[in-house]
Amino acid sequence: MDKNRQRHILECLAAACMIVALNFAFGHPAGAADKVVKVGNIIPLSGPSASVGQQGKNARDMAVEEINAAGGIESLGGAKIEMLYADSESKPEKGVAEAERLINTEKVNVLTGCWNSAVTYPVTAVAERYGIPFIVPVSVADKITEQGFKNVFRIAAKDSWWTRDQFAFLKDMQAEFGGDVKRLAFVYENGDWGKGFAEQWKKLAQEGGYEVVLDEPYPSTATDLSPVVQKIRRANPDVLLLVSNAADAILLTNTLAEYQVNLKAIIGSGGGHADPSFLQATGENSRYLFDIVEWETDINKPGAKEANEKYKAKYGQNLTGEAVDAYLAMYVLKDALERAGSLDPGKIREALAATRLDSGPGMIVGYDSVEFDESGQNKNASLVIVQVNDLGSGFERITVWPKGARRAGYTPVFPVPQK
Amino acid sequence: MIYLLEDTINGILMGSIYGLTALGLTVIFGVLKVINFAHGSLLMVAMYVTYWTVQMSGIHPYLSLVVVVPVMFVFGYYLQDIVIKPIFKAEKEVREPITVIIVTTGVWYILDNLTLLIFGPQYRNLQDNALRGKMFVLGDMLISVPKFWGFVTALVTAGLLYWFLQRTRIGRAIRATSLDREASSLMGISPYKVYNLAFGIGTATAGVAAVTLIPFYNVFPTVGVLFDIKGFIIVVLGGLGSIGGALLGGIIIGLIESVGPQFMAATWTEAIVYALFLVFLFLKPSGLFGVKYDW
Repeated sequence: MDKNRQRHILECLAAACMIVALNFAFGHPAGAADKVVKVGNIIPLSGPSASVGQQGKNARDMAVEEINAAGGIESLGGAKIEMLYADSESKPEKGVAEAERLINTEKVNVLTGCWNSAVTYPVTAVAERYGIPFIVPVSVADKITEQGFKNVFRIAAKDSWWTRDQFAFLKDMQAEFGGDVKRLAFVYENGDWGKGFAEQWKKLAQEGGYEVVLDEPYPSTATDLSPVVQKIRRANPDVLLLVSNAADAILLTNTLAEYQVNLKAIIGSGGGHADPSFLQATGENSRYLFDIVEWETDINKPGAKEANEKYKAKYGQNLTGEAVDAYLAMYVLKDALERAGSLDPGKIREALAATRLDSGPGMIVGYDSVEFDESGQNKNASLVIVQVNDLGSGFERITVWPKGARRAGYTPVFPVPQK
Repeated sequence: MIYLLEDTINGILMGSIYGLTALGLTVIFGVLKVINFAHGSLLMVAMYVTYWTVQMSGIHPYLSLVVVVPVMFVFGYYLQDIVIKPIFKAEKEVREPITVIIVTTGVWYILDNLTLLIFGPQYRNLQDNALRGKMFVLGDMLISVPKFWGFVTALVTAGLLYWFLQRTRIGRAIRATSLDREASSLMGISPYKVYNLAFGIGTATAGVAAVTLIPFYNVFPTVGVLFDIKGFIIVVLGGLGSIGGALLGGIIIGLIESVGPQFMAATWTEAIVYALFLVFLFLKPSGLFGVKYDW
């Protein structure tokens, strides 16, 4: 036995002694020593969605740290939450395999994930088969909660609610500020995304009694959008709804201003209108534009600002819609665990189904409470609508809807003054 | 009726700018017999040069021509001299060297990604320039001022280029090389020097196009790709190597894009442009002004 190895073994022994000693010194309070809630999280930590996955992990970790530091789950004798992460790589088959592993090998009590709808969807079936409650902070595909499963709980709004909320916003704005809106124009990029939105818009317009005066798909790669803008100008709509990627969102906004098109409101659908360079590249032309998003940093909810600052200090980025949903998910879980008072997945499921969370550190979303319907969808979830305006420090996105989340002291400009 | 007139004018103005972006492509093809896949990227580089020139000096965008055109000429000249010429020499015996096409594709990727690396994916434009957002108001009609100047610039550039190729000694040398590489080199014209010049001129016209676009368009690393595809179609429509053809091809596409959407969804105009492209390839592969025989 050479000297190095001897030393290594000694070091190991010393370390082991230390751990034992530390355990004695800071030992768990009697009874709770072995009570741990195991939460399995399947998220994309590598591959194309790794950045979003990392945001989800950071937000979860921050929430769990807070929960554990505040004494864990009281009804379980101060049990701590233990996070187990599995990388889905955005691949459905990887997600399913990891779900099986987490449930069978790691014996997790609850699952969360998976961001990519394509991964979440098959994992719901695994969770259902083993009867493990599966909290989905955000995965937008409608079908995830439309399979009649008992164990899936989605917190964020689903895909079809983006358009629903655009119309709800339009209605609320008219109720609050007047400005009779009758004629709508739909202009959208001609991919799946734009066409999907347009289909739902048409239905909603019919239900809402609006007249659709223009329904125009356009190629995102267009180098000249003045023909489309001319069509908008000639159709003379009250409100224009858009689905655009970045380059075309900028071009449309600038061209609309050049042709002096008068509209009561322009409502974007995220994407290009939310691109970081959009405001800079459109400047004055983007004033009063509305856009729909999952979450905005200025949201007027108790604790939102503090949570964002803490997150930023810890991870160097602002909170995003994805991160906020993940953060909230941990508090929804804590709330359910407190009420369940048990680690039995069945009991946790019951408690989750009876959730009615309207306060606490997690409630920094735009809407006011979390409550799941029969399908496991949070029926109170909604998106957030922002308005672009310059309040003296350059153009920024200001939360205006839902009213409960509106930035303090800001009055939305609706209808937009005519030029 | 007034709508139709308004759209026709917009189509001609925008189309002539498309033609201008394709001018360099047609010049380079006419002489080198090589499709330059990097042309869109050269346009993109020129747009960044213009953007930064105007942004930092605050001059009228069109004054930046004084900087952009020489810079792009030198850029194109040495790009051909350093990167493309060695491949040409290696494939001396081949009439239409495929490897050169592959090299230009490589240049395209390198330029686009290098720009992405240096300037990031942001969309930039000149918010406060003398031309942005300006419109001629003619009764009920609105005509874009920057596009109008683009149209004038396109005509002047095409005219100058035509004159240069027809009347000057260097122009004749370029045409001679384009007609017959071997014969012209027997007459004492160095084909590689001519290639450098042609590439430089082609790149410089991309610089002119960039200057006309900057007042109303965005700059981003992949902006060239949008104009690249259009450029190929325009050049085929007009006839490879024909200057007037490029301009006319551009105007045809501009008109389809501008007038078409008043009768159908804007998406369909793109399909019509491609369909027209295919029809030309089938019926008149030499394009509107292309020569029928092959040299």
